Amino acid sequence: MSVFSSPAPAPGSKAIAANALRSAGLIDRDAPMRDISDSNPGGRKGRHSIRLSTSTHAGPSDPLAIRGAARPSITGRIRRNAISNSTPGSSGIPVRVSTKPKAVDAWREFVNKRYNPETKYLNLDSMIDDEMVKKYNLTPPGHGGTARDAAVIFKLASQLKPEVQSLSLANNNLTGVLLTQLPRYLPKIVNLSLHNNKIRDKKEIHMIVPRKDKMIHLRELVLTGNPIREQSYKNGIGEVYRADIIRRFSSLEVLDQQPIAQISFDAPQSSSSNMPVEKPNATTFPFDMNPSFVTGVVPFLLTTSLSSSFFNAFDSQREALIHAYHPSATFSFSANTSIPARARLVGFHSSRDMPNQRKLDWRIWLDSGSRNLNRIGTDPKKIKEDLHVGNEKIVKALKGLPGTRHEIGGPAERFSIDAFPVPHGQTTGLLVILHGQFTEAATGGVRSFDRTFILLPAEEGSASKLNGWDIVIISDQWIIRSYSSHEAWKPGPLLVQAVSPASSGVGSSLQQQQLQASIPPLQPDQQAMLASLPEPQRNLVVEVIKQTNLNVKFAIDCLTGNGWDLGRAVANFNEVKVCWQGLFYLQSFVLTIPFCF
Amino acid sequence: MSLNPKDIEIATRAADHFTRIYYTAYDSDTRLADLPQFYRQTSSLTWNGKPFQGVDGLKELVARMPPTQHEVQSFDCHPIPGAQPPSLLITVSGNVTHGKGPSGNPPDTPVRSIEGHPRVFAQTFILVPDPLAPPTKPGEVAKYYVGADALRFVG
Repeated sequence: MSVFSSPAPAPGSKAIAANALRSAGLIDRDAPMRDISDSNPGGRKGRHSIRLSTSTHAGPSDPLAIRGAARPSITGRIRRNAISNSTPGSSGIPVRVSTKPKAVDAWREFVNKRYNPETKYLNLDSMIDDEMVKKYNLTPPGHGGTARDAAVIFKLASQLKPEVQSLSLANNNLTGVLLTQLPRYLPKIVNLSLHNNKIRDKKEIHMIVPRKDKMIHLRELVLTGNPIREQSYKNGIGEVYRADIIRRFSSLEVLDQQPIAQISFDAPQSSSSNMPVEKPNATTFPFDMNPSFVTGVVPFLLTTSLSSSFFNAFDSQREALIHAYHPSATFSFSANTSIPARARLVGFHSSRDMPNQRKLDWRIWLDSGSRNLNRIGTDPKKIKEDLHVGNEKIVKALKGLPGTRHEIGGPAERFSIDAFPVPHGQTTGLLVILHGQFTEAATGGVRSFDRTFILLPAEEGSASKLNGWDIVIISDQWIIRSYSSHEAWKPGPLLVQAVSPASSGVGSSLQQQQLQASIPPLQPDQQAMLASLPEPQRNLVVEVIKQTNLNVKFAIDCLTGNGWDLGRAVANFNEVKVCWQGLFYLQSFVLTIPFCF
Repeated sequence: MSLNPKDIEIATRAADHFTRIYYTAYDSDTRLADLPQFYRQTSSLTWNGKPFQGVDGLKELVARMPPTQHEVQSFDCHPIPGAQPPSLLITVSGNVTHGKGPSGNPPDTPVRSIEGHPRVFAQTFILVPDPLAPPTKPGEVAKYYVGADALRFVG
C-alpha cells in the first residue's frame, strides 16, 4: 500500500505542509506537555533515560563534545545562557546541572508537539523556524546541532506511541553525517521525506544506510531539493541517481513521488503481526530427514537409456552441452564462501583423508563471475554480466569455469535429488534440485554444491530436439560452497539439541515417531483412485507410496509395469532414481508430464 | 521468449527484498501468522524431501518447527524466460540455527558434537505472479507468491 492511498500522508512537500498545520493544530489542543510534567526536573532521571545523549553528557575528551562546544549545540547554548563563563568539564558548581535535562525535555516537548498519532506522522520540517525551538533557544541539527543532537531527537521519536510510520525532515539543512543514527532508532520507518536538505552524494546515503539490511520497511523516500538528486538531473544522469537509490533500498516503492516498477509480495503486515499467534517453541523437529523426493515423472515408462549424461559432458567437454540449454536459457553460479559450522567441528579442512582441501582457493571462483547477490547486489554491471542468457553464452561461460569431476556414478548417498513439476506458462516444467559434491580438477580438493534446474520438453524441430535432447534446461543456478558431508541428508530423525548421553528416552521416542511415519495425506482425487482398487492391490499401492513417495497414479502405473510385484516395482523405481543422478536420463520422463496433470 | 535488462534489474531487487522479509518472517515469533501470506493453495513445497501442499501444508510444516535463526550467505535470482511478467527462480544458501543453538546442549555434550550447531541449508523458490491479485501500489508490476519451495539441510 502506498501512502498515496493510505491514511498516512505523503511526505511530499505539499502534503507535508498541510500536515504540519494539521498536526500542529491537533497537538496544541490535545497533547499538552505531558512529558515535561512527567519527567524529573532534578535531572538524574533525564540523564538516564537518554543514554546516547547530547554533547554535555559525554566527557570533555570526547571529540563530539568538543565539537558541540565549539559550535553551540543545544546544551552548549543553554549552558552559556545559564551560567556565564562555564566550559564543559570546568564546572565545580553543582547548582545549575539541572539545565542539561531541560534541553532533552524541550526536545521531547517539541517532538510530541510535532507528532500526529492518528496518522503516525512525525513532522520535523523546518525545525529552526519553530516557535518552541526559538523559545527554548534550541539548536536543531543542520543549524549548529550535531549528530548527537539528531540522535536525541530520533531516540525521542522512537519512544512515541503508536510507532512512527512517516517522518518528514524537510527543510533542515541536513547532511548524511547528521542522519547516521536514524535507522538505529527508527528502523521500521515506512515513509521518509528528506526534501530540501544538503545530502550531496552516494557516500552520504551510505552513511545513513551502510548495509542493505537497514530500513527494510521503507516504501517511500523523498530526496527532492538535495544536491544528490538535483545535480544528477542537471547533469543528465537522473536515471543513474534513481537506479542507485532504488538498488540501495530494496523495499522502496516510490522515490521522489515517482512510482518504481517493482514486484511486490503479500508480506506480513503489521496488523497481522499484532494478531496473537503461538510462538515457535518446539524443542524437536516435527519431521525426519527424508530421502530424495522425486515425483511428477514416470520413471518406469523409461525405456531408452540415453547415452549423453549431462554431468559427464559437464566434466569433460562442456561445449557438448550447447543444445542441452534452450536458446533463451539462463545460467549463473554463486559462491558461498562461508565456513560451515558443522564441517569445521568435524575438521574436514585439516583431515588427513582429504589432503587436498588445503589447496582450495575461492579466488578462482570469485574471479570467474560468482553471482552471489549478497555480495554484488548493488553493482548493476556485475548483476548483468554474471547472468548468462542464451545457450551460446552459457556454454562460453561454462568453458571459462574451473574444471570439475562430479563422479555422479559414485556412491549414491553422496547425492540428493528433489524434483517435482512446476507450472511454466501454459505448460509444465520440472524443477530439479541436486545436492552433492565435486572435485576441483586443478587442486583435487572437494567442494559441495547445490544445483537447481528448470527443465522443459524440447520443442519439435528445435535444435535441441534435432541434436537428441528431448528435454532442455530453461534455467540453471549453481551454488558452490565449502565441503560438508552428505551425512547432512542421511534419512532419519533430526536433532535440535544434542542428546545427553545420560538420558536415553529421547532416542526411542524418535524411533517410534519414525515407525509411525505413514504415507503423506492424499488429495481427494487420489483418495478416490486408491479407494477404487481392490483391497490386495490397494495395500500394494500404499506400500509403494511409502517406499517411493510416488503419487497414487504413478504408484499404480509402476506396479502395473512390474506385474504387481512389490519388490520388482520398488527395485525398478530405485534403479531409475539412481539414473536420475545422471540427470539427463530424465529426458523422456518430462515429455509425459503434460499428460499427467 | 527473451529477457531484457529491466526484467533482470527488477528480479534482482525483488529477490533481495524477498529474502530479507521471508527469513525475517520465518525467524519471528509471529511466524505462524506471517509466513503463510507468502503462499497460495497451489504452492508446492518440499522440506528435506517431505512434500507439503499449499498454505495448509506450509502451516502444518512450520507449526511445530523449533525457533529458527537464518543467516543468508548467498543468493541468486533469474527471471525464468517464457512468460511476461516472468516467474523468478531464487536459490539461497546460508546457515540456520534451531532452538537454542550450541548453548542449549546438555552440559555433558562432547565438545566435538555437531548437534545444536548451525546447519547449512539450501532453499530454492519459484516466485509466481498472482493473476488474481491486481496491482494495488504505484509501480507494482504484479504481486508474487511462492509457487514452489524446496529446502534441504546440506551441511
